[in-house]
Parts: sequence; structure tokens; C-alpha cells
Amino acid sequence: MLLYLAGSLIGVAAIVALAGWLFGWRDAALDAERVAQALAREVPGFRAGRASPDTRAVLIEDARDGAVYLAVARGDGLVTRKLARGLGVARDGGTLTIRLRDFTLRRAHLQLADADYWEARLKGLAP
Amino acid sequence: MKPFDPVALATPAFVLLVIAEMLFVRFTGRGRFEAKDTAASLMMGFGSTIMGTAFAFIFLGFAKLIQPYALFHIGWSWPAAIACFVLDDLRYFWWHRASHRVRWLWADHVNHHSSQHYNLSTALRQPWGGFLALPGLMFLAPLVLIGFPLPMIAFVHGINLVYQFWIHTESIGRFPKWFEAVMNTPSHHRVHHAVNARYLDANYAGVFIVWDRMFGTFVAERDDDKPRYGIVGQIGSFNPLRIAAHGWVSLGSDLWRARSLKHAALYLFAAPGWSPDGSRETSDSIKARWAAAQPAMPAPVPAIGTVPVPGTAAVQSPAE
Repeated sequence: MLLYLAGSLIGVAAIVALAGWLFGWRDAALDAERVAQALAREVPGFRAGRASPDTRAVLIEDARDGAVYLAVARGDGLVTRKLARGLGVARDGGTLTIRLRDFTLRRAHLQLADADYWEARLKGLAP
Repeated sequence: MKPFDPVALATPAFVLLVIAEMLFVRFTGRGRFEAKDTAASLMMGFGSTIMGTAFAFIFLGFAKLIQPYALFHIGWSWPAAIACFVLDDLRYFWWHRASHRVRWLWADHVNHHSSQHYNLSTALRQPWGGFLALPGLMFLAPLVLIGFPLPMIAFVHGINLVYQFWIHTESIGRFPKWFEAVMNTPSHHRVHHAVNARYLDANYAGVFIVWDRMFGTFVAERDDDKPRYGIVGQIGSFNPLRIAAHGWVSLGSDLWRARSLKHAALYLFAAPGWSPDGSRETSDSIKARWAAAQPAMPAPVPAIGTVPVPGTAAVQSPAE
């Protein structure tokens, strides 16, 4: 049994190494346009407003209602969340750290030129 | 005699086919792979094998418990095995449908759908918590109560699972119409894994797509609406432990905060996304919103063998 498990793990490691060699390990670089397109598919009527991208995460407003969305690169895909009051928000200069109550997306770090604006926006979110 | 396990026998072929598909995708661009996603899927498969072995006694114990009440005592024969295979596939259809429509079962099954990719490694992304999804046991009962031998049920179900491996791919387009009409294919199952509104809660079949056509859940893949894969609210982690637990953590959190027994029961048995104040989205509400946003079109003529049922016809109509 132990031999079977060890063999399986070695097999998994070999396939993953091959996948890494063939397709790479890096997360996709995000930009506001890609995020806006993704949100337009997910959120009916979404209209992109102000966005503040770095290459790993994007904060973007819905111009209709001022809702704020976070998009984070995960592999070659992206994960989006609508943000609501109750987040942990901390700013250190241009670095904004967002802590979410989300089991699979616990925090995001963003390097922003306008971090002070986004800190205020996130702290003033609706419930 | 040691029972014959088709899945164990096919595992080396699974490995070789995943490698072959990776090379095919790399050199043709037909499909998508991502190393961290592949790692997560394979580790989910590894963990599922261990957990499945560790908790097999629950399923075996349940089957042994009800076996004395079987109507017949069916022996081993090819006609019996073929009948068992077809009935097991029908049983699979209803278990699978329930796994998408009942939150308790979805808490487990969601893991299989949690990849944003659709390739052969996705087939191996299997849940770890089947032993917690106890209502799923009742779907095992009919075959046992009819009187099929337990090893036969396990055997034909293994064949069923082996069949379902190869349909998890974007590298294969569509088969001739006669085959697509009867069998579950990569095209039909891409629809099942898609999060596009028109594709939600469709194509639950294991081997024979005729069940979806019979029960009104069939949706055809369209060239003008390429499937996007994963779940509504994609997960943000490649950690297998978080993937395996996230459905259960979410359900547990809702049960903890439930304000009445009725709410707790509905969190368990209503559709995923149900909430007391209706503030969350279910697949039905997503599909209804999507259908309302479509331009008005004349009512479609149902495809042969497709019987619209309430809750699906309104969504499928504009899409046909």
C-alpha cells in the first residue's frame, strides 16, 4: 500500500513537472481591460469605472452603482469578488492589503499609485 | 477472489493520456493546461483515492444492510451485467442531478467543478468528502434492492467512471450525430462544466446522454457561446486541502448562523445559493436573469427526444 502511494505521488510529481515545463508556472498578468471583460460576462450590465491595476490584482468600480470588485490572478485565470463592508483594509504607502472573509481567497496585496483613494473607498463600502 | 476494479486497471492509461493531451495541447493549442491547476487536480485525485478507500466501509455497510430486502437474487450473466450497467447509469444521472441541486451534496461535488480548466486532469479532480454526503447513499439503494450482486454493481460503476474520463477534454470536437445523440461526449460534458448562464445545470449524464434528453436537462454546445469553466464564484486557491474543504466550510458556516431549523434544513436541502433573504444567487436566478436579457425570439421547436420541463424550458428557449 505504501509503495502504491509513493509510486502515485512520484507519478503526480512527474506529470506536474512536465506541465510546468510545457506551460509555465507564472500567474497571468492582469490589466483593467481583461478584468472589465470578465466582469461584464459575470455581472449583468456591468460598466467599468475607475480601475487601479497592478499586474497581479485589480480594483475596479462599477460605474452604474459604485460597487467595487477585486480581481486577482490565479494561474492563467482570474478570480473576482464583489467587495462589501467588513473587509480588513491596511495601507502602507502605496501598498494596500485587503483581508477577505473568504476561505479560498483570504488576502490580496496591491501596489497602487492611488492607494489612499482606494483605502477610503473600501472603508466606506456598503454592507 | 479479489474484485475486479476497472478504475485501478485503467489508471496507467489515465496517466499516459494526460501526458499525451498535454503534449497535444502544447503543440496544437487545442485546449488549455496550467501547471498549478494540474497539480491541484492530480492531488485531489490522489486524496480522493485515499479517502474513498478509507471510508468505503460506509457504502459497503449500507449496501449489506439493505441487501436482505432485495426483491430478486440475480446471478452473474452478461445480460444481467448489461442491465445493471444501464440502470447504474440512470442511477448516476439522478445522483449527479441531485449533486447539483441539493447543497449538502453540492458541498462535496463542487470540488470536481472547481477548476477553470477543462482537460483530462480535470477528470481526476475528485472530491474527498463523499462519506459526508450521506444523502447520496439513497441513490445506491435501488440497484441493491433489485437484487444485483454488489460486486457487479461496483464493476459496472467502475466501467462508468472509466468512460467518463476521456470526455473531459477540449482537444476533441464533436462526433457524428448518431453518436452525439446517444452517448455522452466531450462536447456535451463541456456544457456540463461551463458557467455560462445558458449552460448551467445541464447534461448530467454519465455514459448515455439520452437521460438528459428524456428528462429535459439536455443543452447542446454552441459555437457562438464558448464554454467558460469552473464555478459561479471561482475559488482562489490551488491548495488541495482548501479546495476539498471549501464547500463544507461554506455550508458549515451557513448552518452555524441559521436562525431556525427550517433555515438550517433549507441550507442543507435547497439549491446551492439559497439564502433566507434571497440575497444570493442560485443557478435558477442566474438563468432567469440571463433569459430576461435575451432578445425576444419565436418559441423553438424542441429537439427530438427533448421534453422541456418547468424551470429549464424558459432558459433553454432563447438558446435553441
